[in-house]
Amino acid sequence: MKNKVYLGFLILFVIFQTPLLRVHAAEFDYKSAEFKAVASQFRCTCGCGQDHFECDPNTCNETKEFKQDLVDMMKKGWDKDKIRDYYVNIYGEEILTAPEKSGFSLAAWTLPFAAIGIAGAGLFFVIRKWVKRKAPDETNETVQDIEEEVEGEILSSLIDEERKKYL
Amino acid sequence: MYLFSNAIIYLGLAISLYSLLIITLGISTKNQKFVNSGKGGIIALLLCSSLAMLSLLYLLGTSQFQYVYVSDYTSSELPIIYKLTALWAGNSGSLLLWTFFLTLYTAMIAFSRKMKGNPMVPYISAILMANAVFFFFILAFVSKPFAILDAIPIEGKGLNPMLQNPGMIIHPVTLYLGYVGLAIPFAFAMAALILKNVDDFWIKMTRRWTIIAWLFLSLGNIFGGQWAYVELGWGGYWSWDAVENASFMPWLTATAFLHSVMIQERKNMLKVWNISLIIVSYALTLFGTFLVRSGVLTSVHAFANSNLGLYFLIFMAIAVIGALYVLMSRYNLLKRSAGEFQSLISKESSFLVNNLLLVGAAFATFWGTIFPLVSEAVRGTKVTVGLPFFNKVEAPILLSMMFVMAVCPLLAWQKSTVKNLRKNFLVPAIIAVAAMGLMIFLGMHKAWAVIGYGVIALLLITHFLEFYRGVKARRKMTKEKPLVALYRLMIRNRRRYGGYMVHLGIAFIAMGIIGSQNYDLETMKTVPLGGSIELKDYRLNYERLDQKKEGVNDIVYADITVFKNGKKLGTYQPEKVFYGNWDQPSSEVSIISSMREDLYVVLSAWEDDGKATFVVKINPMMNWLWVGSFMIVIGALFAIWNGKYGNVTPRYTGVCKEVA
Repeated sequence: MKNKVYLGFLILFVIFQTPLLRVHAAEFDYKSAEFKAVASQFRCTCGCGQDHFECDPNTCNETKEFKQDLVDMMKKGWDKDKIRDYYVNIYGEEILTAPEKSGFSLAAWTLPFAAIGIAGAGLFFVIRKWVKRKAPDETNETVQDIEEEVEGEILSSLIDEERKKYL
Repeated sequence: MYLFSNAIIYLGLAISLYSLLIITLGISTKNQKFVNSGKGGIIALLLCSSLAMLSLLYLLGTSQFQYVYVSDYTSSELPIIYKLTALWAGNSGSLLLWTFFLTLYTAMIAFSRKMKGNPMVPYISAILMANAVFFFFILAFVSKPFAILDAIPIEGKGLNPMLQNPGMIIHPVTLYLGYVGLAIPFAFAMAALILKNVDDFWIKMTRRWTIIAWLFLSLGNIFGGQWAYVELGWGGYWSWDAVENASFMPWLTATAFLHSVMIQERKNMLKVWNISLIIVSYALTLFGTFLVRSGVLTSVHAFANSNLGLYFLIFMAIAVIGALYVLMSRYNLLKRSAGEFQSLISKESSFLVNNLLLVGAAFATFWGTIFPLVSEAVRGTKVTVGLPFFNKVEAPILLSMMFVMAVCPLLAWQKSTVKNLRKNFLVPAIIAVAAMGLMIFLGMHKAWAVIGYGVIALLLITHFLEFYRGVKARRKMTKEKPLVALYRLMIRNRRRYGGYMVHLGIAFIAMGIIGSQNYDLETMKTVPLGGSIELKDYRLNYERLDQKKEGVNDIVYADITVFKNGKKLGTYQPEKVFYGNWDQPSSEVSIISSMREDLYVVLSAWEDDGKATFVVKINPMMNWLWVGSFMIVIGALFAIWNGKYGNVTPRYTGVCKEVA
């Protein structure tokens, strides 16, 4: 009997939970950080040029439904990568706001850094060459200190000023 | 009016062609008379473009809807200021404005006092005239500003409400001034190459014009960002849209040029590189125009699709091939004077690293912008390269750039030794690391933000030291009071200290970007009348929802009382505006701004029972962005100002050739 009462309470509890859950679903914060991580991966195709995080559900029906689907998946416990894979399988890479980091699209991510790396290495060798060119006739020159340099500049500008006054 | 305005355009085309030919003839036959006639043509051309622009302004101002342009972009109830600014709302009007700026700049150079007697003038004029021919050709045959409709419509289509904002008045104008401005250094570079005369005077004049163009480009981007922030209701200011990228790329390469040209000045090196940077910057402005006007990429900025982009692409190809031909034919001349470096670590090297990173950032932007096209061509899949990509790729490059900027002022020219490095960097480095430690201690745990602010701290210290040491050195000799010494130090070294001010401005902007990107908070809530929304220390009480009418527009607004830590800040009214002649409504956001953060409130939606949905954002340190922008402008103006000690651009005193 006791168990039945407990079970009854449990059922009642679950029944009362349902509307609460619904309210919760309706008031899901579409601007929360966790939703942003998921939704900003996908491009809205209504022509707004925004992602599904930014696009306003009050003016765009497409994002309204999309957002609802995302929330449902998040509630099922799917993480952002799983949700991403799900949509990429259906729509292809086109739905993403940034290219994948695999296959040909990897070139988008790596080429800038590769170019800077190669150019950087080239720059290093060029400067070394220029320094070497200098090396043979290098004497024990005094190294200009910053302070001296600034002083030098000021001195020359003062001299220049005096010169202008008298010439 | 129809006849007059169209005739002016055709006349402009004829005059620009005439000027181009007669100046070229004058140069080749060394006949000053021909050159002078061409110069007269430049004035006539300026008159033509001014009259054409005034005509269009008049037609727009008086709502003459029989003109396609007027009926496409205005309506009779539009405030007069927006009727006039519709001049640059569409393709042909904005090209007319572009042409006007181009002829204005050309006249300024052809008749500049400083350029008097300079043999470069005819060459520069001819190159700019070639540009003018192209633009007048476009206005005359491709994108006609004065085309007329068969039937006169009663009302115009109206101006996109997004464009009815003060930011929109000035953003395109400054951007065009920047875009057109970059044609001037290009013309200078080409003229110098043709004349085999890449001398000191050339450097000074080119740099000056590049700073002017750079300043306008910066302003254009800043105003654009500011407009996006207040008008789009999105809370952001930069979205890495294809067209934003198009204006960012020449900005980066022009910045690179402004630094590397100092090496040419000091060491007579990098001539080929500098000229390449100028050519690339100029080509990128044309490439940007191609992107905006061709519709090959989707963009919020795109003009109505037309084949205009193709013309720009062809023109760009001709300009680049021509420029490369001139560069190659003079390659040996430029190469001959290659200099040398004294040490791997020096100010010179840091400038080269700066160039590497700036051009690298420009390349990354270029690559990301065209990658959708590349991907489609290679494997048939069109991908989107958006905000997450650019944020991830550009952040480390630009952060490294900031680091170089922080370190550079303390490196000596010629050579830095270990001892000298230790002496200069020990204290700033310790303070910067301590600042980072403090940030972590105070609860900042985002690695990028801590590193970013650490680099900015280093930058602020090294720049402070630059000012401090300069003042100290000056006082040692002159015994002036500190403020007097600072003032005199700065006005006697305008370029140097103007540059540092720009650096500080960039640092402030970076502070704003890092803060607003990493620590923003956002919520979207639906509340009943009398309900409240809480976010961090703020409480927003939703008091009232009402409607009002302004002209043909209906405005729905909410009264929101904002409290911070229980203290009332005031009542604000975020609005949603429904336009009488435009489908899409727009949001007028409420922004409560302080140096610490902005509270950004958008009225998103409402229901019949008075329930309303608000998006509330906290954007930290946004004002630093605007302060930094202001400092950039002040710094750039300070650097180019011709004061008593300016001697930035001496008058030309070189050899006088046959024609000038």
